[in-house]
Amino acid sequence: VPDRKMSSPGLMATSPPQGDDPKESLDEEKVTVLLRPTAGAPILKNKKYNVSRDKTAGWINSFLRKRIKCLPDEQVFLYVSQAFVPSPDQTVSNLYECFGSDGKLVLHYCKTQAWG
Amino acid sequence: MAEDTEVLREVWNGRIPVCFRLDSHELSSIEEPEPYFLLLPRMSYLPLVTDKVKLHFQKTVSQEEGDEMWFEYDDQPLKWQHPIGVLFDLHGNPDQVPWNVTVHFKRFPEDELIRCPGEEAVESLFMSTVKEADFLKHRGAVMNAMHAKEHRQFWLGLKNDRFDQFWEVNRRLMAVSSDPFRSIPYRIHQTDKPFIQEPVKPTTTEDEPILLSDLIREKIPHAAPTESGESTYQILVQGIQPPLTTPLQYLSEHFSHPDNFLHIAIVCR
Repeated sequence: VPDRKMSSPGLMATSPPQGDDPKESLDEEKVTVLLRPTAGAPILKNKKYNVSRDKTAGWINSFLRKRIKCLPDEQVFLYVSQAFVPSPDQTVSNLYECFGSDGKLVLHYCKTQAWG
Repeated sequence: MAEDTEVLREVWNGRIPVCFRLDSHELSSIEEPEPYFLLLPRMSYLPLVTDKVKLHFQKTVSQEEGDEMWFEYDDQPLKWQHPIGVLFDLHGNPDQVPWNVTVHFKRFPEDELIRCPGEEAVESLFMSTVKEADFLKHRGAVMNAMHAKEHRQFWLGLKNDRFDQFWEVNRRLMAVSSDPFRSIPYRIHQTDKPFIQEPVKPTTTEDEPILLSDLIREKIPHAAPTESGESTYQILVQGIQPPLTTPLQYLSEHFSHPDNFLHIAIVCR
């Protein structure tokens, strides 16, 4: 196995943040998550949260359920990139690295399936 | 485009012999039920192939106390949302088959497992994962261009173990001729941590293929072999240890699970 420089430029596909690196200005262990309602879902007073990287999509879902006062028989769907529902055990860290940009991870939420 | 059909078939036909036994504490009948043996497809998911296990054991558990069925091996609850092959590579031992899995109908571990309300839940999470993979590869363009009928064919191909039906749709998701993968959809699994999924391109800026060894050195440096080639870790893909010099693009096209993710299990031996 040839020993190659692992951090060679271009190896990683993360989109470089514009301007100042927002990750540096923020606690390294946290990610800024923006929660946006869609398909008529209740609007949150606070849309922006700093979430620990080790939290999961399932954790955000439970958090959201409490915030928008969901009834036990109501469902809440979280969407990444307005395209897919992440696995409940997917970490915020992975989601941010793959689908975040400009230091933020945008998640859309709704009570009925909005996409797919 | 994946062309090595024989490799794809071999991967698809991967099976794991499993011996299911009911947790002895959950027995409510006098007679202990016989263990139940099944040959499970690596590609599938536990809730899709364990109806017979449920039927076999359910009658020996008292109905009032019965909860959702769940599985455990060696004190590790098995997460149904990951493919069976991944669960075996991560928790099982290829030298000890059949795989002895314990069946539970009580004390559902809410902190460790998510509930599976039914087959629709498996289908929707599976299709969502395929979309996620397509998003990483093609910005979701291939899945979006497909008809609902093709999505259905794709799912039924997996569910009913039909290679041709599945690959008729999957080859479009794996096609690279017009549009190379933007990044490789992969997940690295370890027993004691959440899985790792961070963007990695198939090639470097110099157009050199990125190899499995590159990924392991970057993400799990302690699992990479030393210069003398020694390692206490096994790097498993579909139950085998592929040469670390294998390009990720090749592995992605030929050794991914039906969810289009390349699942890599790192296990300490």
